[in-house]
Amino acid sequence: MKKVLVVAWREFLATAMTKAFLIGAVIIPLASMAMIPLIISLVANTKAPAIEGTLAVFDPTGKVVPEIAKRMTPEAIAKRHGEYQAHVKRAIGEKTQGIPLDAKSKAMAESSIETALGEAPRIKVETLNSDAKIEEEKATLRPQGPVPRGKGASRYEVPAPGARLALVVIDPNAVTPASGQADFGGFQLFVRPRLHDLILSDMRRVVEQSVLEARLRANGYDPAAIRALTTINAPETQEMTASGQRQSSEVFNMMIPFGFMLLLIMSTMVGSQALLTTTVEEKSTRVMEVLLSALSPMQLMAGKIIGQMAVGLTLMMLYGGLGVIGLVSFALLDLVSPVMVVYLLVFFLIAYCLIASIMAAVGSAVNDMREAQSLVGPILLVVVMMPYILWMPISRDPNSMLATVTSLIPPVSPFVMIVRLASTQPPPTWQVLLSIAVGFAAVYAFFWAAAKIFRVGVLMYGKPPNFRTLIKWVRMA
Amino acid sequence: MLGKRGHMIRLVGGGAGVNREPLVRDAIVIQGLTKTFGPKVAVDNLDMVVPTGSLCGFIGPNGAGKTTTIRMIMSILFPDRGQLSVLGKASALDSKDRIGYLPEERGLYRKMKVGAFLTYIARIKGVDPHGLTATIKTWLDRVELADVYRKKCEELSKGMQQKVQFVAAVLHKPELLILDEPFSGLDPVNTRLLRDLFNEQHAGGTTVIFSTHVLVQAEQLCDRIVMIHEGRKVLDSTMTQIRARFDPRTILVEVPDAAAGLEALRGRPGVHAVRPENGLLSVSLEDGADPQHMLRLIVGLVPALRVELKRPTLEDVFVQIVEDTGGRTDERQPGGGNGAAAPAVPARSGAP
Repeated sequence: MKKVLVVAWREFLATAMTKAFLIGAVIIPLASMAMIPLIISLVANTKAPAIEGTLAVFDPTGKVVPEIAKRMTPEAIAKRHGEYQAHVKRAIGEKTQGIPLDAKSKAMAESSIETALGEAPRIKVETLNSDAKIEEEKATLRPQGPVPRGKGASRYEVPAPGARLALVVIDPNAVTPASGQADFGGFQLFVRPRLHDLILSDMRRVVEQSVLEARLRANGYDPAAIRALTTINAPETQEMTASGQRQSSEVFNMMIPFGFMLLLIMSTMVGSQALLTTTVEEKSTRVMEVLLSALSPMQLMAGKIIGQMAVGLTLMMLYGGLGVIGLVSFALLDLVSPVMVVYLLVFFLIAYCLIASIMAAVGSAVNDMREAQSLVGPILLVVVMMPYILWMPISRDPNSMLATVTSLIPPVSPFVMIVRLASTQPPPTWQVLLSIAVGFAAVYAFFWAAAKIFRVGVLMYGKPPNFRTLIKWVRMA
Repeated sequence: MLGKRGHMIRLVGGGAGVNREPLVRDAIVIQGLTKTFGPKVAVDNLDMVVPTGSLCGFIGPNGAGKTTTIRMIMSILFPDRGQLSVLGKASALDSKDRIGYLPEERGLYRKMKVGAFLTYIARIKGVDPHGLTATIKTWLDRVELADVYRKKCEELSKGMQQKVQFVAAVLHKPELLILDEPFSGLDPVNTRLLRDLFNEQHAGGTTVIFSTHVLVQAEQLCDRIVMIHEGRKVLDSTMTQIRARFDPRTILVEVPDAAAGLEALRGRPGVHAVRPENGLLSVSLEDGADPQHMLRLIVGLVPALRVELKRPTLEDVFVQIVEDTGGRTDERQPGGGNGAAAPAVPARSGAP
């Protein structure tokens, strides 16, 4: 047993204490988490460049131009800009209670109108005569000279002040349909190439609203009254909890089972993949024989499986811990019962042991990683893809026939069971216990077969084995 | 150099007297060992005894079954039939910590540091971690690799890796050391170093078995030889007995005039053939001719500057046996007459 632990400890160190592991499994996820607030603030603070230019409008109806002009004053543009930023930050703020970004962004949204005034684009509306030639007007938007390319070239052009940025052509029937017809017309927007996308989307929205408002007025409605009629102020659904009320967590009710499943898949796969890699390495570098002169194949396999289990558990604790921190910051920790931690460990044990024994068997049988991939490929496809496929239907209806049956079929059962347990309608206890019992029985059977294959496989070199050979080895040993 | 070696002998000898189980007379006893891989019989009804304290060469051509036999001794492979006892136990599994093993196919963890690798191997061999680092450093120093403790295994040359492997095999002070082709790939300097280390281990009371197909090495080192060919034992004897048994059938004569000497000796009674060889005349004798008599006869016939009986090398024995048994393999049926090959000596007779 002491030797087994020595093997396990080396296995753990060789996998978890490498630069690749620390960077890939620890630093990158942590860094990307730290990046999220940064990315959010970057998005929220994006501003249109303060360019000056004109928007040409060809309006045969004569009713849309005033509406556009009203919305294209610098004040109106700056106001919309500030509202957009405030909206982004509010949307984020709602989802991130307790993250300090919130208070700061509120203050920013309030002050943004004043500050934005100096920085917002200034767009003058230019009305084209009714005899204007559209094709000629469009041609004025074509780029002058070559488009700058390569390093240093901006995606966006900064046109000379006063340059024409865009042309809007309003259809004659945009506001009132042609006589005898029911269909309304619309408009066409032509722009310079490389116009900033925030300016572009703002222009489009402005023209749409202008046409809409012109239509309302033409039909005798008061646009302000219509807006008031169509706006409903209803805060987010509140869920009554034991102690108070909080925002309904419909999304979380789906996501938490998914999170548990992901945690289980990830910690299982990282450990068992590393087990495959180290076993193949030991075989291909021929360290295997040295090891077998000191250990029985069983001690070696047991040590390796235990060592990589520790790797999987480390990852699970790390990511599980991050998950808990996440839930605490959303004030949703009570969605997860502490019993789930116990279940997670039990089902990790089952899932990991099942997959690790497959990996140990395959690793011992092959000559190199390429052969290993072709053998485990189909197995992994089932083990990894099945839970993803089953997650949706099972978390929708956690006690369906599909859920009950698949939670008794290893090696998919632990993943299905953890989804069901984390859902809002947990399965009956007898099913959980049965699933655990079936799981451990399968672990025993998988270990038994893997041990036999391992014993024969570790010293077999040459022809890459297939499943038939592996089965033969199970019978042989 | 002397001081260094003296130190080493103490190091090896220190383990010899203490904590050892009562010595068994024979380190390895094998009876009727058979192993087949599919249709190929790798080891066929092999009997073999290696007395405790001997330095035994295990020889045979490539593919003779040496590695398979060694793996069965190590309980890495399991025989189809037959029995073996290693250090008095039915399986090497029960005495793995008392056996040192250098496999033919050597490997190290490429990314692991040499010191960590040796520590790991020693730990799984059951060595107490206390003082282990010092022991490892002493050994690395001994094999002239003092500065590699912190290097990664992949940074070492092939010869260096092989020496590290040897250290891994002896760190736990084994009673029985089994080395499969230990000299392959080593330069003459390192071959000599390794040979000295063998002798030290042997002198410290360790039973050493090594396989090789380079017969000069076996001849220089071993006090016993076991030879197998096509999975069957064809020779099992001490070196002295082999030399005694393989009658010299050639006399080397140095004469001032080779042509005249050739003329004088050719066709004489008892002389099978005469041919010049490296400036000497090589006189092969007819079957039944007495070498002592022939020596006197030759001295009388030619003005000899030097006359000597050519002692058979292991290589001559080897080639002779392979040729003899090779011609007979068709007639022999599985399971029958294995020991019948002419030169085989009763296994136990050669025990020192």
